[in-house]
Amino acid sequence: MTLDWFWPEGFYASMMILAFALGAFALKLPIAVAMSGGAVLGAILAGEGIPVRHLVEGMFGYIDTILIIATAMIFMKTVQAIGLMESIAAWGIRRFRNYPVLLSIGVTLLIMFPGMLTGSSTACCLTTGALVAPVLMHLGVPRVKTGALIAIAALLGMIAPPINIPVMIIGGGIDMPYVGFAVPLLAATMPLAVFAALLLAWPSLRRREGQNDEALEKELARMSSVPLTWRLCTPFAVLVVLMAGEQFMPQYFPFLGMPLQFLIASASAVFTGRRWNVLASATEAIDDALPVLGILMGVGMFIQVMTLNGVRGFVVISALSIPEWALYLSIAVSIPAFGAISSFGAASVLGVPFMFALLAKDQIITATALALIASLGDLVPPTALAGIFAGQVVGEKNYFKILKVCVVPAVAIALWGIAFIAYAGPLASWLRWV
Amino acid sequence: MDSHRVSGNAATATLLFALSLLVCWLAARDFMKMWRDDVLVPLPEYRRIMLSDYLPKLAGTPVDTPVFIQDSGRPGAAVMVLGGTHPNEPSSFLSAVVLLENARVEAGRLIVVPFAMHAGFRHNFPQEASPSFLHFTLPDGSERVFRYGSRDMQHILMWPGPDIYKHKPSGQELSGNENKNLNRSYPGDPNGTLAEQLGFAIMELIRRENVDLAFDLHEASPEYPVIDAIVAHERSMELAAAVAMELKGMDIEIRLEPSPKNLRGLSHREWGDGTDTLPILMETANPSQGRLRGRTDEALALTGKDKAYAKARDMGNLFIPYSNGDQPVALRVARHLTAIRLFLEMLGLFHEGKDIVVEGIPHYEDMIAKGVGYYLKPLPID
Repeated sequence: MTLDWFWPEGFYASMMILAFALGAFALKLPIAVAMSGGAVLGAILAGEGIPVRHLVEGMFGYIDTILIIATAMIFMKTVQAIGLMESIAAWGIRRFRNYPVLLSIGVTLLIMFPGMLTGSSTACCLTTGALVAPVLMHLGVPRVKTGALIAIAALLGMIAPPINIPVMIIGGGIDMPYVGFAVPLLAATMPLAVFAALLLAWPSLRRREGQNDEALEKELARMSSVPLTWRLCTPFAVLVVLMAGEQFMPQYFPFLGMPLQFLIASASAVFTGRRWNVLASATEAIDDALPVLGILMGVGMFIQVMTLNGVRGFVVISALSIPEWALYLSIAVSIPAFGAISSFGAASVLGVPFMFALLAKDQIITATALALIASLGDLVPPTALAGIFAGQVVGEKNYFKILKVCVVPAVAIALWGIAFIAYAGPLASWLRWV
Repeated sequence: MDSHRVSGNAATATLLFALSLLVCWLAARDFMKMWRDDVLVPLPEYRRIMLSDYLPKLAGTPVDTPVFIQDSGRPGAAVMVLGGTHPNEPSSFLSAVVLLENARVEAGRLIVVPFAMHAGFRHNFPQEASPSFLHFTLPDGSERVFRYGSRDMQHILMWPGPDIYKHKPSGQELSGNENKNLNRSYPGDPNGTLAEQLGFAIMELIRRENVDLAFDLHEASPEYPVIDAIVAHERSMELAAAVAMELKGMDIEIRLEPSPKNLRGLSHREWGDGTDTLPILMETANPSQGRLRGRTDEALALTGKDKAYAKARDMGNLFIPYSNGDQPVALRVARHLTAIRLFLEMLGLFHEGKDIVVEGIPHYEDMIAKGVGYYLKPLPID
């Protein structure tokens, strides 16, 4: 790297990262504040002063995500409060405890389901992820492994068909319609889902198979104190109907947006289950979500200033300038790394240029693979949405413990994605034949 | 990663609340500056109407936009030039403005819509750090200012947005943010979303004014393959091929691309399928909207000079020569206007009785030498 290329953008990048690290690690400031500090320093160094317009505008990039997270958290707290979570967990444990393989894979697919419909890993963690977490933990799956399974399944759910937003973003960048992706996306995600299930959940579940644990029975009785009835499932039913209806029968279902869908589903809980304090639940939900919402705002400012002062271009071109033999390595490292800011952002900012660099390959398979790799961004701090929310639903405060367990499946996802790109041509022919 | 949990009190809460109000006020002041429309100085020969004349329910909404019609009174073709479909593509709306302030129609009719996505000029896209305004100095020393907006309609007008946008009537699925993109909305729907209504109104304009030839002017990133290009519907292809050859004869490199039949919602496809017009979409190269760009500011939008793109050129990642390491807006406007002039000159050769004569369109070399500001008219004094 020449000095001409490094100066001044490389310097700005180094100082922004340094300011962030100093704030987060040395001064122990909240991540959101440390990110904002890095952004402000980047703007000042570039001669932009404190550009209030840019800082606020950057935050608006995440306004939808912020509202979805806040309302999804309210939904989660609500279904916990009415007793649905524990009741359904108790039912699942009784029904499937002696079928560990089926349980592992079934639970993984269940976690993936909301992401398949919404394209959001957060939706997976906070809905079905929250639902299965107590089941798995009561059956002996360690807390961090449960969190890791939820996080990995959430990524795969976000990539699995029918809805894959990173592919749509990449396709939008090269004028490729979202057509013909269902089978490639299934091929990209389902083997990995089985792998993650067997790696993270099955060993613990197998060890408990056939055991008659008195303590567990006692606990199950407590958990099912609110009987599991169809009526108790109303909030989930309302949510599924609203989300699926909007996708598959838009003529009958008005578009409400995920935040309103979560709020309506939460409100439906007043008709069922244990009585609960709405205000207390909502306050607790927002209190829990606030650090993540703050991080997103900080990241929004950071990325806007990176674009303003040229650091974004410096990063993108540096990633693309790696020699051809290292291109695959660059894809596997730089896209997830950029996902530290946003996985959708990585699909746009790096996914599209890499797609252009790989135009000679089958475009559907290549875009599928790039989207799969982009999903890993949701595991990379400081945003690490999947890691953070998986941590919240299993009650693990230090989400880095969960990320550590995610390393093996995450490497598998990256390698699977790279293999898709390397063998895109033969794979496309084979999938068409299948 | 642990961090301090700082406890506050009523005083700190009040202080933080006051600070956040201050930030809101400062930011809102900047954002609201973009709500003021750019001032245009059309030639007196133009008649000004509104797009809502073709779909009355748009009247009074932020998407309603001025339409300028110059009728020579002599028979000939009707030609429409649509600028500003994407307000972050300045050569598109600047070319239309230059036509509006300079072009005299001697035969036929010229219809100019400078700000097609009017509601996209009212904001910048988050995290793109785009400049809000572009400044041009005129020969008399005065200044004209134009907004640099966002690719999409102002989000608050169509919020919340869906995760997936389903194009009507094809059912083609696109990323949700494309639902605010005018150039994915055609043929539109009078009862659909605001973007679909806008698309429908433009289709109505083409139909009711019997537009023979219609341009949709765009810009794209230098790393995008369809760049410095003409995209033509199959009915426009013969004419477009002739123009492309003429441009090459003038040493102006141009790509000629057929409109893909399976990519729906775009002007070059739906205008051709849904009306009798000959649709032409043209792209020039705008580094300030690219993904590889470095520092993002007004200078980049005006000069296209960027060391990140120069490095990308050296790496073979660009689809334009970028030999001087820049792409000035005057060059981009010159490309659009020269191609339009050739299309107008050749239209009658390929379609009998469809001649149109337009004088005053700046020539390629003149625009590059004198710049865009030279061809803008001073603002009236009042």
